[in-house]
Amino acid sequence: MKKLIFVFLFLAMLCCAITPSGYCGEGFDDKEIRIGSWGPQTGPAAPWGSISRGAMFMAMYINEQGGIHGRKIKFILRDDKYNPAETKVIAKDLVERQDVMAVTAGLGSAPTLAVKDYLAENKVIAVGMCTGTKGLVYPVTNPYLFSSFCLFGDEMSVLTKYAVEKMKMEDFGFLYQNDPMGWDALNGARERLASYGMKFLVEIPVEPTEKDLSSQIMKLKSKGVKCVLMQVAPTPGIVAVKTAAQIGYKPQWISADTLGDHATMYKLTNGLWEGTVSGGKVLDPNGNDPIIVKYREAAKRLMPDQPFNAWFLSGIFFSEPLFEALKKAGPNLSKDVLLKSLNSITKFMSTGPSITWTPADHQGVYETRIIKCGPNGQVIVLEDFGTPFVHNTLRGWYKKSGI
Amino acid sequence: MEMKREYYEDIQYFKKKWVMVVAAVFILLLFTIPIYFTGYSLFILNLIMVYVIVAVGLNILVGYTGQISIGHAGFFAVGAYAMILLMTLLHMPFILALVLSGFISAFFGFLLGLPSLRVKGPYLAIVTLGFGMTIMHIIGQANLFGGRLGLQAPPLDVGVTQLGLSWVLTTDVQKFYLILIITIIMVVAARNIMKTRIGRAFVAIRDDDIAAEVNGVDLLIYKTLSFAISAFYAGVGGGLFSFVLSFVEPFQFNVLLSIIFLVMIIVGGLGSIVGSIVGAVLITFLQYSLLKNVRELPVLGDWLVAISQKWFTVIGLENFNSMILGIIIALIIIFEPKGINGIWLRFKKYCLTWPFK
Repeated sequence: MKKLIFVFLFLAMLCCAITPSGYCGEGFDDKEIRIGSWGPQTGPAAPWGSISRGAMFMAMYINEQGGIHGRKIKFILRDDKYNPAETKVIAKDLVERQDVMAVTAGLGSAPTLAVKDYLAENKVIAVGMCTGTKGLVYPVTNPYLFSSFCLFGDEMSVLTKYAVEKMKMEDFGFLYQNDPMGWDALNGARERLASYGMKFLVEIPVEPTEKDLSSQIMKLKSKGVKCVLMQVAPTPGIVAVKTAAQIGYKPQWISADTLGDHATMYKLTNGLWEGTVSGGKVLDPNGNDPIIVKYREAAKRLMPDQPFNAWFLSGIFFSEPLFEALKKAGPNLSKDVLLKSLNSITKFMSTGPSITWTPADHQGVYETRIIKCGPNGQVIVLEDFGTPFVHNTLRGWYKKSGI
Repeated sequence: MEMKREYYEDIQYFKKKWVMVVAAVFILLLFTIPIYFTGYSLFILNLIMVYVIVAVGLNILVGYTGQISIGHAGFFAVGAYAMILLMTLLHMPFILALVLSGFISAFFGFLLGLPSLRVKGPYLAIVTLGFGMTIMHIIGQANLFGGRLGLQAPPLDVGVTQLGLSWVLTTDVQKFYLILIITIIMVVAARNIMKTRIGRAFVAIRDDDIAAEVNGVDLLIYKTLSFAISAFYAGVGGGLFSFVLSFVEPFQFNVLLSIIFLVMIIVGGLGSIVGSIVGAVLITFLQYSLLKNVRELPVLGDWLVAISQKWFTVIGLENFNSMILGIIIALIIIFEPKGINGIWLRFKKYCLTWPFK
């Protein structure tokens, strides 16, 4: 019996070890185009995993429509557990073994920054990376990277402006993830508050893996913070709101779009999320916009077990421009042709704000909408895309940098 | 069969000449690996060799000295960060920075070894666990270490730029040869240590520390030395790891990594250098290659993905991978408690006594 087990294990390993690598450098052939992605399917940011699955759905949807110019999309999604080191291993696997042409909707600031240079060195086109850290796009030195994520600093600046000007809030505190995502947002909010002659009563960093935020919440309460701005991962966000409720602390919560899936957050916090104001990257997933209805129906068909929520819709938003560019590139595909096609994306409208890329500007999106969580996680739009209010006009770092 | 009758037998490297020839051929074969493997496979092999160094070091502590550490990821982290900082801030040459990274880790190992004089077993495990977790959080908070953003490794220049000598290794093949040479040196050194007075003192402490002390083994020196040597290996491994991945970040050095290191030596075989190597190779291979490739097998791959999507996770084999890894480890430990080294010993015995039982 022992011998049999070991023989079986040995054979299984041998079979898997000899699985050939497909690396040839182009990322496509006559039958398929290989697209890679990563995102946390497990770990502290697992709820964000819906974003990656939204991108995966988009590939399935394209394939259902017959593919692009006769080629099917092979979508390779890997779980990096929100761990940048794991992302680095995954990126090497996607590039060197899976031979992907492009990556899309790769999630997380630290994970994406960890692989940004490696992807550029290997001329892998990266479209719609899910991070708004300014270090991703600026300074513009990477011709292969196209972002459609409103910068964290810009978004938090606009949310702070909304809190001060429209909600007449004061006595602010900031809860931020101790990484570029949190730092950028903190700087954006500080700059905005300074323009009103105000500053935070307290700024508290949290780690994405932290499960106990009682001391942090007590600190916010003891400092008399009435409005808590947040730029954190889902788990700390949920823990913060629940902990505050347990100690009878009821501030106004304002979060970046990173926790802007109100239906999911409402469910995960047992309704405590109601009243929270946040940024919004996409249209209301439960709305009746024709494009939303189209994808919602398709998702029921192709991914029946997957909730059609804002994060899932974000995955569609981030990846769709890549597929649009592949269509525009025509049947004679090459990386250069695809790059040219991406650089000519102008006012592309999908499930979020319009996206425009030019050879000199790969940021693509400069606005966020402001939404509020209503009863049962319903989305209430406070400020929509396209209005001057949702653009950050301060951007001190940008003006100073002379980019 | 393993009984030694003379001192000479105990210190000799190879009992028979043909074993030496086989070992030499094996090492030569290792140098030809880049002919058969490229790209991602070489990257995985580099990772495997780094873990071999760490596992060999950990086995000196756990397998030979009978101490426990579930904070080895902390030493590994110290080595990785020290390496990058020494090269970027102090512009040290690679070899000097690598050795110094090892010694910095060894210093922490020495400090952690001190409590081992007072606490044992699960209590010592908790102390080491605390160390591993503390290191991770200190690194994560300090700007010097890049905080949560981590640090990018500098170009791997193995020359001495101060003398105008520069040789930057950029490819995985170049890194492979560098790491292979260092791994061979580290493994031979470990085998050498275990055949000296120090190694015998370690084994004596493992078997019975009171009896060892009665026989003149200074527990203060040898227990802390064992921790320091083990940490040195982890530090050197960490230093090389920073260049294999070109990036370090605090939370990759978590408790799970410390446990994976332990699993490597338990699966390979405690108290065996060869066992450490086999364990590190097997576990790293399972984690980074085998279970990632399963999905690409014809029919079986699709079937497993379908099961996983139905019952475990909607994206495929991610959670399933961890379960299979756990099951394989459990099977090895249940059916072969001495680890893979136990199988090798039985096979050797069978061959030597064949055709008699």
